[in-house]
Amino acid sequence: MVVCSVVVRRLLAAAPAAPRHVFTGLRWVTSTPVKFTDRKYTDKHEWVQVEGKIGTIGITHYAQDALGDVVYAQLPDPGQEFSQMDECGALESVKAASELYCPVSGKIVSKNTEVEDTPGLINKSCYEKGQLLLTAHS
Amino acid sequence: MYSLDYHGDSISIQIQLSSTPAPKIRSCHHVKMQPLLRYWAAGSIRYDKAYKIQKVLAARHQTQKAQNVILLVQHPPVYTIGIRTNPYPFDEEERLRRLGADFHRTNRGGLITFHGPGQLVAYPIVNLKELNLGVRSYVCLIEKAVMRTCRHFGVDSVRTSMEPNETGVWVNNAKICAIGVHASRFITSHGLALNCNTELSWYRHIVPCGLVGKEVTSLTKLLGQNVTVQQVAPVLVRAFCDELNCTASNFTHEEQQEILKEIL
Repeated sequence: MVVCSVVVRRLLAAAPAAPRHVFTGLRWVTSTPVKFTDRKYTDKHEWVQVEGKIGTIGITHYAQDALGDVVYAQLPDPGQEFSQMDECGALESVKAASELYCPVSGKIVSKNTEVEDTPGLINKSCYEKGQLLLTAHS
Repeated sequence: MYSLDYHGDSISIQIQLSSTPAPKIRSCHHVKMQPLLRYWAAGSIRYDKAYKIQKVLAARHQTQKAQNVILLVQHPPVYTIGIRTNPYPFDEEERLRRLGADFHRTNRGGLITFHGPGQLVAYPIVNLKELNLGVRSYVCLIEKAVMRTCRHFGVDSVRTSMEPNETGVWVNNAKICAIGVHASRFITSHGLALNCNTELSWYRHIVPCGLVGKEVTSLTKLLGQNVTVQQVAPVLVRAFCDELNCTASNFTHEEQQEILKEIL
């Protein structure tokens, strides 16, 4: 996933001192001193955390609060491929189905089946147990 | 003072001018105009045709022609389901089609519901980011607009529920209005269905919204007098404008034709 590796190289080149904003194609909220496991955010309130070739994807605390209690998660199956910001699934809450967007280009490695069984995990623990997907960039 | 009147497929606005002389303008302050909510009363149209109209209106939000529109329709009898498809396999669809109704699988939230003559179906195609609304607060706003509408007709005991599967508007144990929406890139589609003088026996063939033991009702049933879609539609539009702090503005015939040409 070319965007993320370019991002990482820029971070390494930068002086890792005070936070600064960097345009990468994903809108950054802040960039803190170099850590591989920093989350990146989209303007649709998904986050992605990259380690090597694998990206973990979820929605933010802001997003889960704006949705309300999630009652159903429609997640893409492993093997499906998406380009950055393609619609890749949906979350249902209060009779509203909200589209999910894939923050990075790549192929789905796995989906969090715990979240399919217990959608409330997305509200309770959106960065940990309520994560949604793992992707691998091509 | 203005009033909205719904006649068949169109809504007309009458403006009454005050008889007192206009005051002299001593100073001029910049007044921020309320944003517009365009309304389109499209009459009785098939479910799939209405959905095509919604898609065109939604797509326009990504262009220069972006505007918030509420589409008001009635449908011939149809059952529809949302993204939770497991409870409704093909033989369930067949069973309902044999009753003489259409059947559609949609991308909205909510479980199974019925649309038919006598039911006011409203599809707000609005930009949530522009209106500064999250999905939850948008659905809450729909509920409030519907409750205002019901109270206008004298149904005061309307309520909503905090249970996530009981979204909608209720009178005691009976649902008067179902809600099921979709949001994509901040643009909404699908909407609400308010029973005015709907033939409620159609609901006997399903578990509406998946809620066993709950009933459905209508304004006509509650008030003991005939309340039509034509009477309710302008009240609902006004209620939405009150909730959204918008001004109602009719979708002109030319604008309607432009959209209808795109779906041919």
